[in-house]
Amino acid sequence: MIKIHDLSFQVKDRFLLKYINLEINKGELIAIVGPNGAGKSTFLSCVANEIQYKTKHFLFKDKDVKSYKRSEIPLHRAKFSQHQSNEINLKNEEIVLMGRYPYFKTEADLSDLEIVEKWMAKTETSHLTDREYEQLSGGEKQRLHLARVFAQLENNIENKLLLLDEPLNNLDVAHQFKTLHLIKEFTNQNNSALVVLHDLNIASQFADRLILMNKSSIEMFDEPKKVLTQERISRVYQYPCIITPHPENQQPIILFG
Amino acid sequence: MKKKVAVYKVSFFIVLLVALVTALYLGAYDFNHSVFEIVSTYFNTNTHTADSFVLIELRIPRILMAILTGAALAISGTSLQGLFKNPLASPDLIGITSGAVLFAALTIVFGSAVMHLLPAFFRYVLLSIMAFIGALLTMWFVYKMATSNGKTHILILLLSGVAITALTGAVTGFLTYISTEEELRNITFWSLGSLAGSNWWKVCLVFIVVLIGSIRLLSKGKILNALMLGEKEAAHLGFDIEKTKREIIIIVSLMVGCVVAFNGTIGFVGLVVPYILRFVFNSNYNILLPLSMLLGAVVMLIADTISRTIVVPAELPIGILTAIMGAPVFISILINYKRKLK
Repeated sequence: MIKIHDLSFQVKDRFLLKYINLEINKGELIAIVGPNGAGKSTFLSCVANEIQYKTKHFLFKDKDVKSYKRSEIPLHRAKFSQHQSNEINLKNEEIVLMGRYPYFKTEADLSDLEIVEKWMAKTETSHLTDREYEQLSGGEKQRLHLARVFAQLENNIENKLLLLDEPLNNLDVAHQFKTLHLIKEFTNQNNSALVVLHDLNIASQFADRLILMNKSSIEMFDEPKKVLTQERISRVYQYPCIITPHPENQQPIILFG
Repeated sequence: MKKKVAVYKVSFFIVLLVALVTALYLGAYDFNHSVFEIVSTYFNTNTHTADSFVLIELRIPRILMAILTGAALAISGTSLQGLFKNPLASPDLIGITSGAVLFAALTIVFGSAVMHLLPAFFRYVLLSIMAFIGALLTMWFVYKMATSNGKTHILILLLSGVAITALTGAVTGFLTYISTEEELRNITFWSLGSLAGSNWWKVCLVFIVVLIGSIRLLSKGKILNALMLGEKEAAHLGFDIEKTKREIIIIVSLMVGCVVAFNGTIGFVGLVVPYILRFVFNSNYNILLPLSMLLGAVVMLIADTISRTIVVPAELPIGILTAIMGAPVFISILINYKRKLK
């Protein structure tokens, strides 16, 4: 799905990312975790080609990522950004419809509108249609943009990639889990997702593999059980912790303090 | 939604037709025959009567010019507002109009020697090209001034417009001082704005520019909507942001430059028209762009018809009328802003 070899990103002479190597398979849900300033969002921006990085090679579906046409790549890859614009003077369903912009010229097809409706229902935002965007709460706005991003990747292409930068911010517990289930549902269809998460326990429950970042590079990239050890987490986060298995699924649970 | 847009399109179109027919009959000169008769007699005999001269050489080109000018200014304003993500961005407020006037005035005063040698059509072409260059330079200047990291600072944008307008005022004042009487008349006409000088050559030229420009701008609805998400998000939807910006800047400069070259500064149309439409359609540029063209044409045609009939036999400069409509809108947008700041 993705093969990255020696990726670096620097601003002036300070490295924000150093020699990142990564291989992600199709159908994987990968969580990126790590302390503040470790380079999680920067790394995701690199994978999304939002910033200019240096790399030996970066293959996306066995093709150089730069060889994709501008109009073609939105059908394969979508990104949910951490900060959503606050001033969008549009109806909420028109915002979700933007996810379908790569699919139609000027007039949306009926199928586009159906997809918008479907994802608004799935993200529980259907009831927001008659409210103004600017009056919505942070979590509601967030779910609306999630619907937009999911609507963007609704097509027949196989092995799509979804990039999400802290999608759970502002969401209440129930919506956090519902959102993760949506992401899981997406990756179960042979798609991949790369998700920046703050909550180690949620990452541990849902992710197939974890990227633990620390000081601009990848500390470890493996299954949650292997990455989340008491010694490593305490060292990386510089705070003591205890690790115990989840009573139901045996995944590691981290208790700080 | 689709239905509502269609209803608005059709009703604007009907209003435009009614205004057009009314405008044909209204004016300082009253026809002795019906419009249809005048036109058919002219084409049969191929010589002008007083009636046919006024109708065919003066009134019809002027009406067409009003429609084209209104459409051009309104869609330019709407596109700029989308580009700068602010309802206050319009060609006159950010100084593009002034830049165009400045270059047109310079051309008139310093180019008069060359201008007299050229046939009418090329004179107009030269004038519009110069106005276009003036518009483009100001546009580039205000854009560079007001934008950093993909964000536009509306305060700097508007103040750059004020600065440019002040500079233009000074230079135009100086030109007035040194110009001959004929040049002077030409320059004064720009600062007030008037469609009185319209003729078929000018209409043809403006028509070509507006046609090409609006075809390009009308396809920008989706990307202007997407820009509200932010530039990175818009890029993820497959849009080429930099290319679009360049394109909009060039097209708007071309349309505004051309319109200003022939009609002078007609302010506020690019501000008022989208402002009215936003009440009904929010900021959905897919809808705003085509409707603003239609409503712009309607507003301008009505304003021009009033300007040439209200103080018959004289004329009221059209800039006065558009300013009367525009200033309250400007103020009400500012009030909205103030509310948001709290």
